[in-house]
Amino acid sequence: MDKLVGLLKGIFKDTDGESLGKNRLRVTAPRGSVLAVLDYLKASGFYQLKSISCVDWMDENEFELVYHVASMESPLHLMVKTRIARDNATFPTAIPIFKNAGIFEREIHELFGVEFEGNPDLAPLFLENWKEIPPFRKDFNMREYVKETYDSIPSFEEYQWQKEN
Amino acid sequence: MDRNNLIKWLKEPKKMGNKYSLWAVYFSTACGVIEVPPVLTSRWDAERFGIIPVATPRQANLFLITGYVTTKTLKAIIRTYEQMAEPKYTIGFGSCPINGGMYWDSYNTIKHLDKYIPVDGWIAGCMPRPEAIFIGVTKLWGMIDKGLATGYIRYRENYDYYRGNQEKLFGSMEWPPLYTLKEGTNDG
Amino acid sequence: MAERELELIFGPQHLGMVGNLSISLNVEGDTILSARVNPGYLHRGFEKLMEYRNWIQNFPLVCRINMIESEPVEMVYAMAVESLAGIEVPERAHYIRTMIQEMSRLSCHLTAAWAYTSILGFDTPAQWAMGDRDYLLDLFEELTGARVYHIYNMPGGVRRDLPEGFEDKLLAFLDAVAGRLPDYNSTFFENRLFFERASGIGKISAQDAVALGGTGQVLRGCGIKHDIRKLEPYAAYGDMDFEIPTREGGDAFSRVLVIRDEMVQSVSILKQCIEKMPSGKVYEKTPNPFKWKIPKGETYVRVESARGEFGLYLVSNGGNRPYRAHFKTPSFVHGLVILEKLLQGANIADVGNIMLSLYVIAPEIDR
Repeated sequence: MDKLVGLLKGIFKDTDGESLGKNRLRVTAPRGSVLAVLDYLKASGFYQLKSISCVDWMDENEFELVYHVASMESPLHLMVKTRIARDNATFPTAIPIFKNAGIFEREIHELFGVEFEGNPDLAPLFLENWKEIPPFRKDFNMREYVKETYDSIPSFEEYQWQKEN
Repeated sequence: MDRNNLIKWLKEPKKMGNKYSLWAVYFSTACGVIEVPPVLTSRWDAERFGIIPVATPRQANLFLITGYVTTKTLKAIIRTYEQMAEPKYTIGFGSCPINGGMYWDSYNTIKHLDKYIPVDGWIAGCMPRPEAIFIGVTKLWGMIDKGLATGYIRYRENYDYYRGNQEKLFGSMEWPPLYTLKEGTNDG
Repeated sequence: MAERELELIFGPQHLGMVGNLSISLNVEGDTILSARVNPGYLHRGFEKLMEYRNWIQNFPLVCRINMIESEPVEMVYAMAVESLAGIEVPERAHYIRTMIQEMSRLSCHLTAAWAYTSILGFDTPAQWAMGDRDYLLDLFEELTGARVYHIYNMPGGVRRDLPEGFEDKLLAFLDAVAGRLPDYNSTFFENRLFFERASGIGKISAQDAVALGGTGQVLRGCGIKHDIRKLEPYAAYGDMDFEIPTREGGDAFSRVLVIRDEMVQSVSILKQCIEKMPSGKVYEKTPNPFKWKIPKGETYVRVESARGEFGLYLVSNGGNRPYRAHFKTPSFVHGLVILEKLLQGANIADVGNIMLSLYVIAPEIDR
């Protein structure tokens, strides 16, 4: 684990690695070099992209993208992280490196509104006719939205009462 | 049970036929559907109650809405419900279609199913046990007997209300109204 | 565009569709030119809901991500909370957790056997599988109080100890189901019809399976020995003696046979669990749930569910509720990427066959 961190630090500037307990390694890379780091990791055996997570750090006005990569043979699981600006968030796609990255990016695009440049398919995945801000952002007030959207619709009893009076 | 009551069969064949051949739409709307396979297979055997799943809504007269309903599914549910031939009965299965249940503050599930389509009865619980389905069905029998299971008539007569609510949620509907809308009566 | 290309919407209300999922197929005659999976019919926004509930309130919530097999979901969440809060789990709780994981794997595989056999038209083994599963659900009910959603794993252990005489009942069930296996074999797994329907269908190469993010049966059906239980033993799997069944074909036939072999392994693991079960307490006391704050940190935990790797990335900012949770579910990739790929060039009649051999469960995709 330490060897890998040393190698990464040597090759990429501003890249840091930290162990998070057994078999877990967190690699932090600046925006520009994260795809190169992923490419390097893929060549050195971590060839399966498990998932891409996005965390909304609203107070710092940043999104954090977390690429989970692992190899098939070793139990080591890597989390490659980078921070991007929250306003008009864009990031280059990872499809050239990992073939299955597109679907995770499509999910993040829908739920957080991050634009992935070069991803040909960013159509809505789960939601239909969604007009609000992306729902997984921290400034989306879910309970307020539920009140406005669903609770405002009258029940059958209310409708009958209205009709009679 | 009056299944063997021959006189009743001769007197009211339509009602008895409806009662004892509740054919359910094959539509796994949500997680409650996991209790449907046990109900249909060897241990609980719903065919004793005349319930079988059928492929298309055209042949069915029972709609089991199993579990929470998301907005996307609601569209499919309304489409399926409108395709069913009358008389048709709807049973809401599980806590979530009643009042939202566990997902009361979820942004993508509707909370009260009966605002969008008429529901004849509810089976509460998460998950309701297979026996609960049978209790629900026997209650529905009683309602059919007494002429209380009139959800489809309510839908026809108050179509303005239901369609209005559906439009309110979806913005615009992709298919024409099933019944003619009365003009100017619908303000929500 | 081909001359007689049609768009065929398959699901959500369709007899060949198990679960609430829609696939739009571009077909020419009987052959599928391309497929596009349209999920979202079951999207409840779990990860957002979790941000609104405190650590303990999330337990009843998370298990509802997957109705067929709720245990791995509870397990990952419990493991993630324990790893963030630094709680040690007693030895006996580890064994009970292993036991209930395997029970739920068995129940999930039996459900899959029901779905798969009935979609191929084998009604007899389908009825048996569902009937056998119900005995297992009875055991679950005795142990946890519920048939489907158990809410049994808690941070620090399991909710309650095994009831008296539970081991004997479980052993009796295991013997019964193992004694049934020859019947399943002769009616289904060794049936020529099953071979004809499934071999060569939905074929994927090992390289593709890895590159597209496949786990579980998708990899093991291609001959890759990959199993989180061996790779990174959690609970008491380190003490268990079991094999990872694999097949070489990469097609639906291989994947289904891997499922069959895993059931045999599950029975063996369950027997070992009962044999080696240590005594002691099953629950480590945790702080008052209303005042419980977990220190800042992040973690990724994973378990081997019946369908593949089930992971959870959990972030805490030091508050009384999760800051962000993200589930890595096996069906997400299997259903959205691999299924679309395998459906190209397949027949319409094989859609359900391929989908169920990939073990796609819709609520797990949507969350």
